[in-house]
Amino acid sequence: MQDTQTTESPSIPSRSSTSTQDRSSTVGQTLSSAPQPSKPTPIIPPLAKSTGPGSGSGVRRMRRIIAEDAEWSLAIVPLLTELCIQHIVKNFQNNPILKQLLPEHQKKVLNHLSPDLPLAVTANLIDDESYWRRCCTQRWPVCHVDNHGGSWKRMFFELHLENLLKHFIPNTTDPAVILNLLPLCRNYVRAIRVDQFLPPVQLPAPPRGGDQSDSGSEGEMEEPAMDHYQLDNLVAGLSHLEELDLVYGVKDCGMNFEWNLFLFTYRDCHSLAATVKACHTLKIFRLTRSKVDDDKARILIRSLLDHPALEELDLSHNLIGDRGARAAAKLLSHSRLRVLNLANNQVRAPGAHSLAHALGHNSNLISLNLRLNCIEDEGGQALAHALHTNKCLTTLHLGGNELSEPTATLLSQVLTINTTLTSINLSCNHIGLDGGKQLLEGMSDNKTLLEFDLRLSDIAQESEYLIGQALCANREAARQRALNPSHFMSPVTVKGPENPAG
Amino acid sequence: MNPPGSLGVLEEKEEEHLAPPILGPSIHSDNPQERIQARRLRIAARLEARRREALGEYLDGKKESEEDQSKSYKQKEESRLKLAKLLLCGTELVTNIQVAADIREIHRRVEEEEIKRQRLEKLENEVKTSQDKFDEITVKWEEGKQRRIPQELWEMLNAQQVHCAGLIEDKNKLISELQQELKMKDDQYVKDLKKQSDDICLLLERMEEQVKNVMKTFRQELQNIEKAFEVERQELLTSNKKKWERALQAHNAKEILEQQLQQMKATYQLNQEKLEYNFQVLKKRDEESTVIKSQQKRKINRLHDVLNNLRSKYNKQVKQFQEENQSLTSDYKRLVLQFKELQKAMRHFALIDDKRFREIWLMNEEEAKDLINRAFDVDRIISTHHLGLPWMAPDFWFLKNVGPISQQQQKSATQILEEVLMEAEKEGADEDSSESETYLDLPKQVSARTTRKILMLLCDESGFLIESKLLSLLLPLEKNECYLLRLDAVFSALGIENEDDLYKLVNFFLKYQTHHSPSSQEPLDLRAEKERSLVDGKSQEKEPPPSPKLIHPNDVLKILEAFVMSLRKPRDFWVPVKLLKAVRDDSKDSEYWEALTTVIPATTLNLWDALYTALEKYHLVLTQRAELLIENSSLERQNTELQQLLQQYLDTKINSELQVPPTQVFRVPTK
Repeated sequence: MQDTQTTESPSIPSRSSTSTQDRSSTVGQTLSSAPQPSKPTPIIPPLAKSTGPGSGSGVRRMRRIIAEDAEWSLAIVPLLTELCIQHIVKNFQNNPILKQLLPEHQKKVLNHLSPDLPLAVTANLIDDESYWRRCCTQRWPVCHVDNHGGSWKRMFFELHLENLLKHFIPNTTDPAVILNLLPLCRNYVRAIRVDQFLPPVQLPAPPRGGDQSDSGSEGEMEEPAMDHYQLDNLVAGLSHLEELDLVYGVKDCGMNFEWNLFLFTYRDCHSLAATVKACHTLKIFRLTRSKVDDDKARILIRSLLDHPALEELDLSHNLIGDRGARAAAKLLSHSRLRVLNLANNQVRAPGAHSLAHALGHNSNLISLNLRLNCIEDEGGQALAHALHTNKCLTTLHLGGNELSEPTATLLSQVLTINTTLTSINLSCNHIGLDGGKQLLEGMSDNKTLLEFDLRLSDIAQESEYLIGQALCANREAARQRALNPSHFMSPVTVKGPENPAG
Repeated sequence: MNPPGSLGVLEEKEEEHLAPPILGPSIHSDNPQERIQARRLRIAARLEARRREALGEYLDGKKESEEDQSKSYKQKEESRLKLAKLLLCGTELVTNIQVAADIREIHRRVEEEEIKRQRLEKLENEVKTSQDKFDEITVKWEEGKQRRIPQELWEMLNAQQVHCAGLIEDKNKLISELQQELKMKDDQYVKDLKKQSDDICLLLERMEEQVKNVMKTFRQELQNIEKAFEVERQELLTSNKKKWERALQAHNAKEILEQQLQQMKATYQLNQEKLEYNFQVLKKRDEESTVIKSQQKRKINRLHDVLNNLRSKYNKQVKQFQEENQSLTSDYKRLVLQFKELQKAMRHFALIDDKRFREIWLMNEEEAKDLINRAFDVDRIISTHHLGLPWMAPDFWFLKNVGPISQQQQKSATQILEEVLMEAEKEGADEDSSESETYLDLPKQVSARTTRKILMLLCDESGFLIESKLLSLLLPLEKNECYLLRLDAVFSALGIENEDDLYKLVNFFLKYQTHHSPSSQEPLDLRAEKERSLVDGKSQEKEPPPSPKLIHPNDVLKILEAFVMSLRKPRDFWVPVKLLKAVRDDSKDSEYWEALTTVIPATTLNLWDALYTALEKYHLVLTQRAELLIENSSLERQNTELQQLLQQYLDTKINSELQVPPTQVFRVPTK
């Protein structure tokens, strides 16, 4: 079963990044071709060489001197050290000798080691980045090492673990597969990003009609059987875990779609809440596209109250309503949360009221995203009032919230007072012509706002243009400010508000 | 909305990624030329990259510092703005899709809500109507139970059936409507999916386009910037070249001047160095002098201390010396007294010594005379007895002398003057007698008259040496006496004390005359006179000497001065002479005694010697004869003795007892 799943796996990244495929593949080739010239032909017979160097080696035999190869030697009989190294490399799996060697010999050995060695041997023994780089590039065609803190080893283990989790089927796959990996990867994994949790397989696939699958009531009845993999053991074992990015859903289900494939059960929710509560190093917690409703959100958020490290909470694309929003507001005042994302939920005016209340006294939150909710003017006004007192928030996304002129009026007042906000998004609202004018007035007194998105919000083109001009001036001023105190700070300060928006 | 900083990085990365595939020739190629070419290209690319990097860094640095509107800066700023705008627009373009999707979603939601509401309303209406209908039907069922007539019942049942069918139809209609709706929804879902995929495709397309666009524009802008820089560089180069040319022309024209300037500079340098050196030296000296100054100050202080000490010491010593002086004066007084006593004693002793000397002298003389008399006796005996010559007793002056030779006392100048003057007085009466007397005193060549003349002259000319009081006293006196006193005063002033000095003075006058007169008209007369004097000898003296005329009165003072000057030197030693006046002259004594020893002349001595040797020889012959006589007599006596002994031996018996008697032995040689 696992084999069939793994056959799918290469197609997943390839589909997700078809656009960048050709470019990244060239990059991958250049990257993968880089270590190949350093592989000495006289010492090791080509283990995993592609066709390119294979043809090159034929050429090499004809040449007397190969200037590109740093290890090329004129000596016909290889040195004893070379032979020893060769032997060590050959028997590394049974007898790993590395730390006892001299640094240059270590380097040679590492250069010649096969990436296919079992992790049990290599995981805690080899720290060399170039080896793990080879492992990564061999396994995955696209490697964004920047997403893993610039460490190839971390990337390897994170991706490996992610892969295992993605294809773990409860009650079918042996949990030992993951738990055996735990001692090997516990020091290196800092982030778990899983966008798929497979449900347990029902062996006697019920040949019932499609009407059953349509209704959500069916899923609730079978809920106990639909629990996903419980992360608690794994997360408890990872000592440096900082990021947890989960999506309870199935990708590429195709025509086998069933609603209960996308169930985030209460048991899942409770277990996840306990897991998150136990993990004191967690900084970022994302649970998106998982049908989290008010109750589940409350369960989760309750467990997150007074969490020592949590900085970012992302519950976007769920079904959270006002009660969930109230819980989130409570979390704001009981944690050090810096980023809160509730985009595409069902928060309405009461939820926005409670959030605004929390925001008025908060001094941690930097970014608040309420895109695609329905807080309407009432909530918008409440938030605007809260911004009168708040001195911390820099990014506010209120796109698609049915806001109109009254909110704009209040926001324009906020703009004249507030000096921390750098980015506001009011796109897809009904601000109207007068609201646009008022916002323009407010904008004329503001010197800090860098981004103000007013697309498709029914304001006059003239005011939009003028606001754009003001923003340009502000941006130029910010650039000058960033240049003068320290030249290298500029990308960070400007980049800051970028992340939560995207 | 990417920041410009990150874009730069991105763009650089792009370039790096794109660079390798451009390489035409491969380093794995078979052709060595191609390989070399490839390596060259690679090196060039690396250099280019490095250069660009350096340039970029340079630009970054420049951006901050250089605010003046250079062309490149303008271009850069322009590009930056353009790119920022491009990025902004591009991001907006990309995000537009999202925003559009959002608004569509919102609209959908609104519509959905509306439809939902309508549907609910409709359903409620439907429920109501169907409920009504159902109620109606159920009521009719009740009615039907009361019906007894089958036709009626049937009718009613039919009607019920129709009603039920209508109800069911209504429901079915509703269901079909809903199903229709569902189908439509499904269709819409599919459409939405399609739309979404289209959107995503569009998004991707736009993103890609954006990336391409951005890359293109970045490259273009980079090229523009580089071009601008190139142009600026070219301009700079040309302007610099022009400047250079101008400078070179000026240089050619000014070469000579420059050379001069160079020389001047060199000299200036030299001077500067010298001055610097001097300055350094002066500084050093200044330092030294400050050091010395401080030292001197210290020394001054020290010396002040010493001075104070010395002053106190000096005062002490002054006191001491005063005391000493007092004591010494007292000593001196004492000593003077002692000395006077000593002088007294000395005079006393001198008298005694004279007396004793005289006694001793007399004794010795007596003894010597006895000896001389004996010698004369011996000589008389020798000459008369042995040689048979008549002997004459020799007559010597010293034989008559009895007592120590007493010389005449030296006369003082005044005495001589007296004499001279007296002589001059007597002159007229008897010249010869006086002359013979005075000649003993005066030097032979100077006559008394000359002397007198000179002295008179001296007396007249050097009146200033005489005290005025004396002159007044002298007035009533006689002419001679007056002269005498005046001369006496003059001599005392000149320091002339005795005879010798006087003669010296006279001689000096005469010598001066001889030496200095040739310059005047008189020398001829002088010389003539001298010649005459030489010829005539003594007679010349008698003639009146021309000396008074010879010496001009004006010269007298000069002569006197010269004389005094010459006299002064030896005079210093003469100071003690006065005290030793009493010392007698013993020069004649030795002569006297010597003369006494040579009473017997050398010839007689020689005669005596010869006589002595002859007598000696004679005595020797006589003694030899006497010795020989004695020897002869002794030999004769021995001979007799020996003859006696021989006789004795021959007569003894032993001779006969011997085998060979000596007699026989004696005989053998006799045989």
